[in-house]
Amino acid sequence: MSHGYNGKILHVDLTEGHLSVEEPDEAFFRKYMGGSAMAMYYLLNDMAPGVDPLGPENVLVLALSVLTGTAVSGQSRMTAAAKSPLTGGIGDSQGGGFFPAEMKFAGFDAIVIKGKAEKPVYLWINEGEYELRDASHLWGKITGEAEAALKEELDDNKIEVLQIGPAGEKMVRFAGIFSMSNRANGRTGMGAVMGSKNLKAVVVRGKKRPSVADKARVNQLARWGSSNLADSDIAGLAKYGTAETTGSNQTSGTLPAYNFNSGVFDGWEAIDGTTMYDTILKGAAEGKQDREGRDTCYACTVRCKRVAEIKEGKYKVDPHYGGPEYETTSTFGNYNAIDDLAAIAKANELCNKYGMDSISCGATISWAYEAFNEGKLTLEDTDGLDLTWGNADSMVKLTEKIAKREGFGDVLAEGSARAAEKIGRGTEEYLITFKGQEAPAHMPRVKRSLAVIYATNPFGADHQSSEHDPAIEGDFEFYTDRMAVLGFTEEQETRSLSDEKIRFAMASQHMYSTMDSLNLCQFVYGPAWQLYGPDDMVELVRAVTGWERVNFEELQIVGERRLNMMRMFNAREGIDRKADVVPDKLFKPLKGGVSEGWKLDRDEVEAALDKYFEFCGWDVETGIPTAEKLEELDLGWVVAE
Amino acid sequence: MLVIHIQLYSILREKLPEEAKGRADLQFELGSTLTDLLGELGISRRVVISMNDEHETDRTRELQDGDEIKIFSSISGG
Repeated sequence: MSHGYNGKILHVDLTEGHLSVEEPDEAFFRKYMGGSAMAMYYLLNDMAPGVDPLGPENVLVLALSVLTGTAVSGQSRMTAAAKSPLTGGIGDSQGGGFFPAEMKFAGFDAIVIKGKAEKPVYLWINEGEYELRDASHLWGKITGEAEAALKEELDDNKIEVLQIGPAGEKMVRFAGIFSMSNRANGRTGMGAVMGSKNLKAVVVRGKKRPSVADKARVNQLARWGSSNLADSDIAGLAKYGTAETTGSNQTSGTLPAYNFNSGVFDGWEAIDGTTMYDTILKGAAEGKQDREGRDTCYACTVRCKRVAEIKEGKYKVDPHYGGPEYETTSTFGNYNAIDDLAAIAKANELCNKYGMDSISCGATISWAYEAFNEGKLTLEDTDGLDLTWGNADSMVKLTEKIAKREGFGDVLAEGSARAAEKIGRGTEEYLITFKGQEAPAHMPRVKRSLAVIYATNPFGADHQSSEHDPAIEGDFEFYTDRMAVLGFTEEQETRSLSDEKIRFAMASQHMYSTMDSLNLCQFVYGPAWQLYGPDDMVELVRAVTGWERVNFEELQIVGERRLNMMRMFNAREGIDRKADVVPDKLFKPLKGGVSEGWKLDRDEVEAALDKYFEFCGWDVETGIPTAEKLEELDLGWVVAE
Repeated sequence: MLVIHIQLYSILREKLPEEAKGRADLQFELGSTLTDLLGELGISRRVVISMNDEHETDRTRELQDGDEIKIFSSISGG
């Protein structure tokens, strides 16, 4: 008897209009567990190398895990994976909300989408039944309007809608896939892939709760989380949102500002989580923001999502489109020296309405701001927009122009790396891209293991692919028990790239990779400050699936397996160690504040990469997994590809 | 005795009365340290401390009259 999963994969060929169901056996779910690892299985098997990421041959996988839909915090998440139009290699993104759980209730564990529909369609899955329906009337609509139209059309307010906005339709290379009009599978351009297939939305409705092997133990874990949240390290994140971290990053010199030229920003306090809570969260004026200005994902006690509402002033913000995360306040805010929280919330709303990744969007704008401030772009290039540092109006206007691919916005809609290539004039030196994907709001010049992870990560810079350095540096004393499970018992020197630090980067990367395969939220589960630790993760898998012999080592191998499959996907595309490059900017010293003068050293980074590849069991020259490593991970079939 | 000025952020504000909005002037004996301050506030978890606009990681650092201290609750990723 299988527990936790439906055992059904829906295959959709949009070119042929053909839908079919595959029913893999239990061994398949035990080996891949779900999410990103499961997606990689289909991408490697169903897609030939060298296809156009925006062509019909690309395959888009939407995948849940064996845990999705169970009544415990941090499990309602979904992977979207395909070949990335932003990086040209593997694309992968994770998103939360209520859609993932509802998709499980509707009867499926994953949807594998191939081909291209002749005209816009949406996929409707209702209680195990499925069909493609015309979406011509939805094409061009912003997310909130399309969601409302679908609820009316299907006469059901409880459907969950996963969709692209107009930016995905126009194939903005960093378009995302959205549910609830405010939850994003944001990164690596998965929305552009969906748009290229003429697939506007996937709509799900179902009531079939997944079977659970030991409900009492799952309930016990859920209760433990609720009872311990207030005393946990994520209590602040829960109530004040991810942007609570702005002030601590400012203090430690890790707040990227002026397009990563500085690690501090004087205007930080105007845009941090505490100010957001006091000012723009829905209900703040009446002191009701704790109830009205926070939102959650299915069955999650944390409630970290923001709901911003601004009724007056230059930038009105509709609460339907949520509120900004730390990444968003950073990429639109400190990256551009902008301290106008209303403008940032507006840019966030635009990203959610039109369907764009707010990290790549804000960071691409930041590249343009630096180029403008350095005299490499003029008003003639920018359609008359003044991109002087701190200009909030231009940032908001540019966000909308990108979404609509209007004028200079069309140049930026290609992402900063392609924009720099098109513009030239030496603007490449302002890039903060890894494999073509813009860096999120963390500072590899200070948290140096991130330089290794960002450089080697198969889908480019990603802050959610490993645990950050503080857990094994200054904060180590708080997490000794959990870190020991991961294999670390000694604190490491700040800003070091010691062998032990690199081993920490790799081991924590495997755990995060596992969490992306179990589709677990990385604020709720993790190896350090998160609500639940590694042991809890093991207990959850056992209690839900009934696989009582699952242990931490087995789960780590699932994560390692995913990562190796991703490296092999890239290898097939001709992407190897030569692409594992840290942008030049990070070898230049930071300016101002506590991190003044700090920079990466090229020799040290290259030596760290050598060591990382060695630890991974990959060829040090090419960065490609060896045949022995793949065999060890039971991935011999990938070698044979 | 010495007087320091503190500003607490995010969830740490709740260590003080709501109307204080995280701000307070606190008195300590001469020779008191950051550890004493954290103990007084009942903070035992990881925090990041700014002391007179410098990042202070040494919890044995002695408090000085007039110190401006900001304390942040924070995750280290996200």
